[in-house]
Amino acid sequence: MIPGKYRSVSGRAANNVNCGLHLVIQTSSLPEKSKVEFKLNKETPSFPGRLLQHDLERNYSSRQGDHINLASSSMPSFPILQRSSEEKILYSDRLTLERQKLTVCPIIDGEEHLRLLNFQHNFITRIQNISNLQRLIFLDLYDNQIEEISGLSTLRSLRVLLLGKNRIKKISNLENLKSLDVLDLHGNQITRIENVSHLCDLRVLNLARNLLSHVDNLNGLDSLTELNLRHNQITFVRDVDNLPSLQRLFLSFNNISTFESVCCLADSSSLSDITFDGNPIAQESWYKHTILQNMMQLRQLDMKRVTEEERRMASVVAKKEEEKKRESHKQSLLKEKKRLTINNVARKWDLQQHRTPNIATNQDTKVSDSPSQDPSQLHGSAVVSAFPEETGSLDSGLTSALQGLSVTDTHLVEVDGDTLSLYGSGALESLDRNWSVQTAGMVTTVSFTFIEFDEIVQVLPKLKMKFPNSLHLKFKETNLVMLQQFNALAQLRRVDQLTIDPQGNPVVNFTLWKYYVLFRLSHFSMQKINGTEVTQNDMIMAERLFGILAHVASSELPQYRLISILGDARKKQFRYLLETKGKKPGLVNEDNNDSKRLVGENTNRATLNYTTRDFYNERLEEIKEKKKFCKMYMEDLVKEATDINMKNEALQKLWPQMFIELVRDAVIEIRNKNSYMKLCLQQITDQK
Amino acid sequence: MLSPERLALPDYEYLAQRHVLTYMEDAVCQLLENKEDISQYGIARFFTEYFNSVCQGTHILFREFSFIQATPHNRASFLRAFWRCFRTVGKNGDLLTMREYHCLLQLLCPDFPLELTQKAARIVLMDDAMDCLMSFSDFLFAFQIQFYYSEFLESVAAIYQDLLAGKNPNTVIVPTSSSGQHRQRPTLGEASMLEGVEASLFYQCLENLCDRHKYSCPPPALVKEVLSNVQRLTFYGFLVALSKHHGINQALGALPDKGDLMHDPAMDEELERLVVRSRLHRTSQQHRAKEPGDFGFQRRDKLEALERVPSASAPTPYPYRWEPRE
Repeated sequence: MIPGKYRSVSGRAANNVNCGLHLVIQTSSLPEKSKVEFKLNKETPSFPGRLLQHDLERNYSSRQGDHINLASSSMPSFPILQRSSEEKILYSDRLTLERQKLTVCPIIDGEEHLRLLNFQHNFITRIQNISNLQRLIFLDLYDNQIEEISGLSTLRSLRVLLLGKNRIKKISNLENLKSLDVLDLHGNQITRIENVSHLCDLRVLNLARNLLSHVDNLNGLDSLTELNLRHNQITFVRDVDNLPSLQRLFLSFNNISTFESVCCLADSSSLSDITFDGNPIAQESWYKHTILQNMMQLRQLDMKRVTEEERRMASVVAKKEEEKKRESHKQSLLKEKKRLTINNVARKWDLQQHRTPNIATNQDTKVSDSPSQDPSQLHGSAVVSAFPEETGSLDSGLTSALQGLSVTDTHLVEVDGDTLSLYGSGALESLDRNWSVQTAGMVTTVSFTFIEFDEIVQVLPKLKMKFPNSLHLKFKETNLVMLQQFNALAQLRRVDQLTIDPQGNPVVNFTLWKYYVLFRLSHFSMQKINGTEVTQNDMIMAERLFGILAHVASSELPQYRLISILGDARKKQFRYLLETKGKKPGLVNEDNNDSKRLVGENTNRATLNYTTRDFYNERLEEIKEKKKFCKMYMEDLVKEATDINMKNEALQKLWPQMFIELVRDAVIEIRNKNSYMKLCLQQITDQK
Repeated sequence: MLSPERLALPDYEYLAQRHVLTYMEDAVCQLLENKEDISQYGIARFFTEYFNSVCQGTHILFREFSFIQATPHNRASFLRAFWRCFRTVGKNGDLLTMREYHCLLQLLCPDFPLELTQKAARIVLMDDAMDCLMSFSDFLFAFQIQFYYSEFLESVAAIYQDLLAGKNPNTVIVPTSSSGQHRQRPTLGEASMLEGVEASLFYQCLENLCDRHKYSCPPPALVKEVLSNVQRLTFYGFLVALSKHHGINQALGALPDKGDLMHDPAMDEELERLVVRSRLHRTSQQHRAKEPGDFGFQRRDKLEALERVPSASAPTPYPYRWEPRE
């Protein structure tokens, strides 16, 4: 009998319901008293069918009162079926030959108005001898051994064809069955859907438990409401949107793993019921809400009602995922830009250092391409990734990651949580910007890459002021070559950790560099240098190695030199403060305190300063003028002194003689008292 | 003072020879540079301090290279200062590269030229493998010779090249078989059998050089001593011998003998004091870090305050007294 699956479309009642096609469906077993007789007729059959020579010698007895008599004969041919006239009248339109151990279809004689034929549970291998039953509406060949659909070409009225559990390999020879309403091909070996496009009245198509690997060729099935494709090997589904009436689609236990493979379902407006359980797709985390999001018309999913709540959740989740995708795309764009810029900066740095750039030509073209794109993109990105205080409405996801990214071709400034990274010397100008107190306060690590250390030295006061909590400094490719350069770091407020990357910093090759750093910056009490902890022994060793230098630098310098050196440092800081807008008294006080503290803690080191090569040469140039003047001045003095000395020596030489002459003159004068008195008087009158 | 030598020179040249003018010029220059600071405490005091520091040898600290190189006394003071400051590095036993020594030099003189250090390193390493590590004493003595006698050494190098090439700067040419061989082998590479130059010939040239050189030279007697020990010697062999000769070192007077190089008791004492102070400072800092509120500091202050109060004012009767006042 028809399995319970093919109930009426409208209801879900598990009882007999008229399906509107004038078919009476029976769920109960056969009425008892039908007697069917099978007789093997030696005579030639009355209809022009073929006569096969079969040798059947079986005596069957059916259950439940089917009395089928099958007379065997020695001549092989089809068994001929004959019913008693009683039965013919009683059940004129239906014939049940269930479990009759038939291996062929018997010739059914004189039953031309048969409408329902049941061959379930037999061993029939071919559909034959039913061509004369042209009024047949219902044919049930469930559970046989049929290998090929054939012999149906005259059954134009057939509406229900049940061929489940057979060995059919191909859908074919259904051309004339235009009235077909239900086609059941489950449990066969069908690999493709084909030759069904003409079945425009077909409502139910069951292809479960076959060998289908994909679904297509479904056009033309305009009435199809239910399509059962359970337990196949389907990986993708197509053409379902060409089924205007399809309401139920069962795809359980197949091989569908992505939504893209069933994306045509989204375009089907009629679908209301779908199952995917048993597919890989159902195990995905995004399964439910993706399906619901893409198939808004769905009422049941996996035999469970879709609630409003679920639909809402689905759209929310879908939105979130969309946003996440957008964000991650944005971030990957930013990262790419950052990488390109860093490459650019690195190349510039290498050129600057007269090193050959070792970037391959294809990367060169990439970098050269980006500048053309960058300006337009940059303006966009600069706006998007502006600082929080400038555009207050940044997504929480974005702020937690890359904050404040500023990208140009020549330098890169990036604030990432607690790290401020500067690439390229142009980045140093960014320290002039208005950093929000919050952002600046969070920065504890400052990293410099591809910037000359001498340039960094000049902005250290700014760094001190704008990022007061920066405790860890990192230097990579900054051309640190002399120990002296570390003296410049002493002007900072406090440094806990120092990382000097060996790449681009030759100073790291020196044996004593760490000790010198510890010695010069002892007032910072540094915790770590290049990742290794600083121990008490390290500090003591540093002191031992360079302590005398400090002592000499402080106590043995003449006072005026001390003042001038320290004064230079303070003068520089003061000059910087005056240059900036920070003329607030608070700042000045702070600076005084700082310098006082500095002086108090380690005067003996304060004289160890670092002036950049350029400044130094500038100063020497300035002094040249003064030196020239001094030289001239000294020469004048010397000339004067030598003149005087010469005169002195000459006098020394001449003096005895002069003295004798003086005495002789005087004696000669006074010899004649009278004439001397007269001479004196005359001299006095002359004077008046 | 009134020696005939002195009187023989005209005044200006006398002053120049004693480098008095250099110091005077420098003093006035320094005065000009630091007018504002010095005017605060008097010019007379400035000059006193300046010339005191010149005498003590501390005037060259952190000065520019042109000044340090100006007079032999400056050079000697610089060498001495370098020795005193970085003796501890040598004592520690570290072997450093030429670049690192140069760095240390730059700590004391920011624009010290690299060529000088390189030349000094060449002496130590015999012009071979310039990246080798050198010990402090080796470098220091080589550097002393190179720096103090740099002009002299340049002339010596020129003479050596001439001798190698077969040209004798002396007007007297002694035609010997060896000089003929010299002429046939001008390049150093080919003179593998006869390495360097003949010591006696070399000495003659050097003697002439010392006589007419206006820059400082090592005492000729000592040079003769160096050259008398060997038959032939190369240029760097000669320099190494010079650097290791303790007589020359003593004549220079800047550095102690090699044996005493690491000894400086006064400085060691000072160093110990510094180390102890730094240790205390560090532990007190750690204490301070651990116990907020500057516990240690305040305590001390309070104690000092307490101690001061009773002595300043009249003895006030303490509310709590354990024993009767005596």
